[in-house]
Amino acid sequence: MTFNPLEQRGIPLDRQLRNWRELDVPPIDPDRCDPYTRCRIITMNGIEVEAILFSHQLARNTVDPEIKRQLARTRYIEAQQQKVVNWLLPGVSSVLETTIAYEQVAVDLTAWVARMEPDPYLKQAYQFGVLEDFDHLYRYANLYEMIEHRKAESIVDNLTEVMPGRPTKYHHRNPVDNVRDPYAKDEANPLSKLHALTIMSTEQQTMNFYMNTGPTYMEPIARQLYQEIGLIEEEHVTHYESLVDPGETWWEQLVNHEYNECYLYHSFMEQESDPKVKAIWELHLNMELEHLHEACDLMRRHDGRDPESVLAPELPNVLTFEPNKQYLRELLDTQMDLTTLGAGYVRDAHERFEKMQEQIHGGEEPPSERVMAMHDDMFGREYRVQSEGEHPDPAMREK
Amino acid sequence: MSDLDTPHAGDDRSMDDDVVALLMRQHGDIRNLFDEVEASEGEERRDAFRRLVRLLAVHETAEEEVVHPFARRNLAGGEQVVEDRLAEERAAKETLAALDDVDPADPTFMPRLMKLRKDVQEHARAEERYEFTHIRRSADAGQLATMAKAVKAAEAMAPTRPHPGVESGAANMALGPVAALMDRTRDTVRKAMGEKA
Repeated sequence: MTFNPLEQRGIPLDRQLRNWRELDVPPIDPDRCDPYTRCRIITMNGIEVEAILFSHQLARNTVDPEIKRQLARTRYIEAQQQKVVNWLLPGVSSVLETTIAYEQVAVDLTAWVARMEPDPYLKQAYQFGVLEDFDHLYRYANLYEMIEHRKAESIVDNLTEVMPGRPTKYHHRNPVDNVRDPYAKDEANPLSKLHALTIMSTEQQTMNFYMNTGPTYMEPIARQLYQEIGLIEEEHVTHYESLVDPGETWWEQLVNHEYNECYLYHSFMEQESDPKVKAIWELHLNMELEHLHEACDLMRRHDGRDPESVLAPELPNVLTFEPNKQYLRELLDTQMDLTTLGAGYVRDAHERFEKMQEQIHGGEEPPSERVMAMHDDMFGREYRVQSEGEHPDPAMREK
Repeated sequence: MSDLDTPHAGDDRSMDDDVVALLMRQHGDIRNLFDEVEASEGEERRDAFRRLVRLLAVHETAEEEVVHPFARRNLAGGEQVVEDRLAEERAAKETLAALDDVDPADPTFMPRLMKLRKDVQEHARAEERYEFTHIRRSADAGQLATMAKAVKAAEAMAPTRPHPGVESGAANMALGPVAALMDRTRDTVRKAMGEKA
């Protein structure tokens, strides 16, 4: 089915405001929901947060008060969309449970994007990053069993395996080595632009989530682990945001944001198993169509260019949450020992990397290693879910 | 689910010198048992349910005897926090006592169990957020450890794990109805708290 959002009209802007009753959505049942429903919620929350923050930055760089007012109007609707989406998450979940769901998003969303990405340099960036999120899931899962005596599989439901990725302690690189080369806006496949924006937004939301919720824990090891992984999420935001061509004008970026929101709401509407949540994706898609039209008008007016010249002729194939176990196992088998050097990737630990490692670890084991030692003290084993067999890397098998 | 077994709180190798950490793990153990009852059938389900009833009884009684009195005495507004928790516990106990008389094969069993699961989970999170947080803030290390010992004493008197040779129907009968189990747990906890005071 082809769907061209540029040719569709949605709900008129002046009819998009919702009252308290409409904003008060019932949350999902954390123990009985489709884990990928929760993944779609977390993804769309990250997308809406980015929409709001981007619009604020744009407004701060806008002189014309009439345009400022126009941006404020749409942004308020986007703030309502964010509230509805994120409030689908239940209050009964602990921060750690939500964290494990965030890491499931990072693993299965990034893996899917890596599989579908047409550009080899961009594909490598996603393949590199996903092995780090994969390891975070494993560390948090072990912390979860220690604190709550629960298994992460009660959250990820065997759709995603839980075992070591690239060890977290090696994610601390010299910041200059986190900056990638951007795609070229006039040559890149439109799908590549959507991928970069999506992963940048979700990693940014993960960074925000850890930096704000980490200190709500009282257990010292939990506080320390959130601090460590929180810093890596900042590295990931640097990594992914630098893939986006900085030569795109503000208006072109606004169009890309709105188009991406249409793409993702449409994708999730197509695959949603929970009818109440599906209705929200559909409603929000119909709101986004008008936001997109407004953004296109702004681009035509201020850049004197046609948005069609930078967008795909029709929506790409739907972005899908599905298990990526075999794909991840291939990456675990081949890309565990990579690190970055400049905008590229190398297998050997280079001088700048070694220096950073020495400085940040200060001669001690980082929290991501200590959490495993403490878990072992408590249970005499690790927590893993290896539904497809042993770890592909013999060095990473449980001793 | 994987084959990995998560031992019950008190049975892992934790120091158990913090009553809040111990009770939070027990909250997870209770959720695990709800899952086990739901996933099993026939005799296995009966057995899992017996263990759930026992753990719930021991856990709630220990909280009523150990942590709620501490919260009442030591937290600003503790009286109201504890009242809210006790109301939730009373409701859960009534459902539990009623469910205890229903055969797990009965068609009404599962819907009632699911309702109980939801109520117990909401109650547990409310305790963690509105009561335990404040207990950790106002109790010193010695008090946290003393309370942890009393909770462990409660569990020791009503084993909540299947032990070889003890899991017979006769042994279950010997533990008697929920109310009697709670009474005996209460006596044990009071004794343990008295010794430490």
